[in-house]
Amino acid sequence: MLKIRNIDAGYGKIQILHRTSLHIREGEIVSLIGANGAGKTTLLNVISGLHPLKGGSVMFQNREIQAMPPDRIVGMGLIQVPETDKIFPPLTVLENLEMGAYLRRLDRRALQSEIEKIHALFPILRDRGDRAAGTLSGGERQMLALGRALMGKPRLLMLDEPSLGLAPVIVAEMFGIIQSLNAMGTTILLVEQNAREALQISNRAYVMETGRIVLTGAGVELMSNEEVKRAFLGNDYKEKWER
Amino acid sequence: MGVFQPEAETMNRRDLLDLQNERLGILINHAYANVRFYRNQFDAVGLNPDDIKTLEDLKKIPFTTREDLVNNYPYGMFAVPLRDVVRLQFPLSHYGNPIVIGYTREDLKIWRELVARIMFGVGITEHDIIQVAFNYGLFMGAFRFNQGAELIGAAVVPASVAPADVQIRIMRDFKSTVLVSTPSFALHIIETMKKQGIDPRDLSLKIGLFGAEPWPESARDLIEAGLGIKAFDIYGVTELIEPGVSGECTAISGLHIFEDHFFPEIIDPVTGQSLEEGQEGELVLTSLTTTAYPLIRYRTHDRTALCTAPCDCGRTLVRMNRIFHRTDQMISIRGINVFPETIADVLRNFEGIGPAYSLEIKQKYGMNDKLNVFIETSPELLCTAGNVAAFHEKVRTALRKALGLRVELEMVQKEHESKQMRSTRTRINS
Repeated sequence: MLKIRNIDAGYGKIQILHRTSLHIREGEIVSLIGANGAGKTTLLNVISGLHPLKGGSVMFQNREIQAMPPDRIVGMGLIQVPETDKIFPPLTVLENLEMGAYLRRLDRRALQSEIEKIHALFPILRDRGDRAAGTLSGGERQMLALGRALMGKPRLLMLDEPSLGLAPVIVAEMFGIIQSLNAMGTTILLVEQNAREALQISNRAYVMETGRIVLTGAGVELMSNEEVKRAFLGNDYKEKWER
Repeated sequence: MGVFQPEAETMNRRDLLDLQNERLGILINHAYANVRFYRNQFDAVGLNPDDIKTLEDLKKIPFTTREDLVNNYPYGMFAVPLRDVVRLQFPLSHYGNPIVIGYTREDLKIWRELVARIMFGVGITEHDIIQVAFNYGLFMGAFRFNQGAELIGAAVVPASVAPADVQIRIMRDFKSTVLVSTPSFALHIIETMKKQGIDPRDLSLKIGLFGAEPWPESARDLIEAGLGIKAFDIYGVTELIEPGVSGECTAISGLHIFEDHFFPEIIDPVTGQSLEEGQEGELVLTSLTTTAYPLIRYRTHDRTALCTAPCDCGRTLVRMNRIFHRTDQMISIRGINVFPETIADVLRNFEGIGPAYSLEIKQKYGMNDKLNVFIETSPELLCTAGNVAAFHEKVRTALRKALGLRVELEMVQKEHESKQMRSTRTRINS
C-alpha cells in the first residue's frame, strides 16, 4: 500500500533521514519506534508532503506521491494525525470534526452521518460538541484529533505519538481504539515512543536510530529483541543484565 | 505441492526486489554500526554506508571470505553483544582455523522457517514421519530438521548415527515416510537392504532430502529406485545456515534460493567480476536478515548458475543449479568437508614428513567415499623399520582428529610418489 524507497531528507545542510526505506501492506498496523530526534516525525512529514525530500520516492497505492501537494495526498486517503497542534482550539468540537471532512465536500446529510459514526466511536465528543476544542483535556483532544482524521476517510492513517502526555488509563484506551480502527479496515502507521504498547498491537515494526532504520521484525518479536529492550523498554534492561 | 510461506515465496519479483533493497539498507546500517571489520571494509575502498542504496551498489563492497571469518575469530564478526546470542556453532571442518557463528533468537526462528519451507515444498506435511539420519554431533544443522518438521507438525525420528540395519528397522517399524541424510548414507542403506533381502515396497518411504555433499544425477536415480522415493537436493552454507539457503522443489529444476533472506550473486572466481544470469561462476551470498552474524558478499566457493524464469511449483524465487564443483580445494567426503590446508597444518607438527603430500579420493556411485593421503617421508624415517608403524598410526590419528574423518595414510619416499599416483582419479598435489 505504501512503499518508501531510499528517502533522504533534512533541514538545510543537516541531513535527518538517510536512505530510509519501508513498506506497509494493506490492513497492517506498522509501528516506527525510536528515540527523540531519530527522524520519525520528519519521515511522516515527508510522506504527507509537508516536508521536501532530497532523494528517494514515496509510492502510495502504486502511485508516486512525493511531488504531490499535501491536500491531494490527503484526498487519496493518506492522513496524518500530527504530534502537536492537532486541533483548532477556538473552534468547537463539532466544527473541528467537520473540518476533517472539508476535502470530501459532503452534503449536509452525508456529513451528519459521518459525524454520527465518530460519535459512536468517541461518545465524549458528542457530549463536548459545543465546547471550544481548546477547553478539552489532553485525552479528549487526542480523541478529537483522531476523530477529525477519520472524518477524512483514511485508507492509511499515520499517527504521531498518539499516547503522548496521556494518563496510563487513557493510553490503554487509545491503543484499543487504534486496534478497532484497524479491524474496521484502516491501515495504520504508528509512530510511538511508548514502544511496548505500540509493538504489542503492531504486525510489524521498524526501529529508527539517528535517521536510519536499523532493525525490523514482527511487533511481538521485537518486544523480546535485546536491542529494543535496552533502548526502549527500560524495565527489562536490568533484568537482562542480572541474568 | 505446498508453499509454506506464500506471501514470501510467491511474491512478484518487483516487490521482492523492493523488499531486498529495504532489507539491504537495514543490513548495511546494522553491520557498519556494529562490526569493525565491515567498517574497515567500507573505509578501505572509501565507501560510505549511505552510498549503498540498492542491490546494484552492493557490488562496490569488497567480498567477505572464510579467511576474514578466521581472522576475526571468535567474536569479531558479531553484530550484537554476546548476551543477545542464543546459540554458538562451530563447524568441525574448520578445526585448524576455527570460526564460531552466533545466532539470535530471531535468526533461529528464520532458519527454522526456511527449513520448513524446503520440507513443505517437496510435499512433506503434518502426516509425515521424518527419519533424520544425519550425524547430529558432526553436523549441527541436523537439529534444524527437527525444528522445521515441528513447525509443519510432522513427526521426527532423530535416528542420527544408528547403523544402517537399525535405520532400516526403524523405517519399517515406525513407518517413516521421509528420509533425511547424506546421499552416501542413503546408498549405504540401500546396499544393506539388498544384503538383508528387504524390498523397498516393505517400507513406507515417499520422500528423501539429501545434502551436505555433491551427488550426481546417477546417484539420484539409484536412490529413487533403491528406496522407492522422490529424492531432493538441499543446500546450505555452514557460515550462514546449513541447511536452509535453498532447496529443490517438486519441479526438479534447480534449488530455490530464499532470496527474501539471502541475496545471491554469481561472480567470476578469478576476477571477482559479476556474471550475468545463466552464466556459471562462484555463488556469493549476502545475508539480508541475519542479526548476529551478518555476512556481506560472502564467497561460498560453490560453483553454480542462477535462473529467474518462473518455476512450475509456483514459487517466484530464483533457482540455482545443483552444485558439483567448488572454486577452492575443499572436498567433501561423505558429507564431511575437508580443507587440504588442514592436512598441511597437521604434517607440520611432525619431523621427517611433508611438506609435500598428495590426496587420492576414492569414489563410489560418483560420490566421494574415501580419502587416501600420501605423504612424502624422509628415507631415514622409513629405514627405522620398528618405529614406522607407530609413527604411521600417530599421524593417522592426528589427521583423523583434525579432519573428523578416518583416512588411509601412506608414507612414500619422494622417488616412489609418481608410481603411487598413477591410479589417482581426482587428486590434489601440494
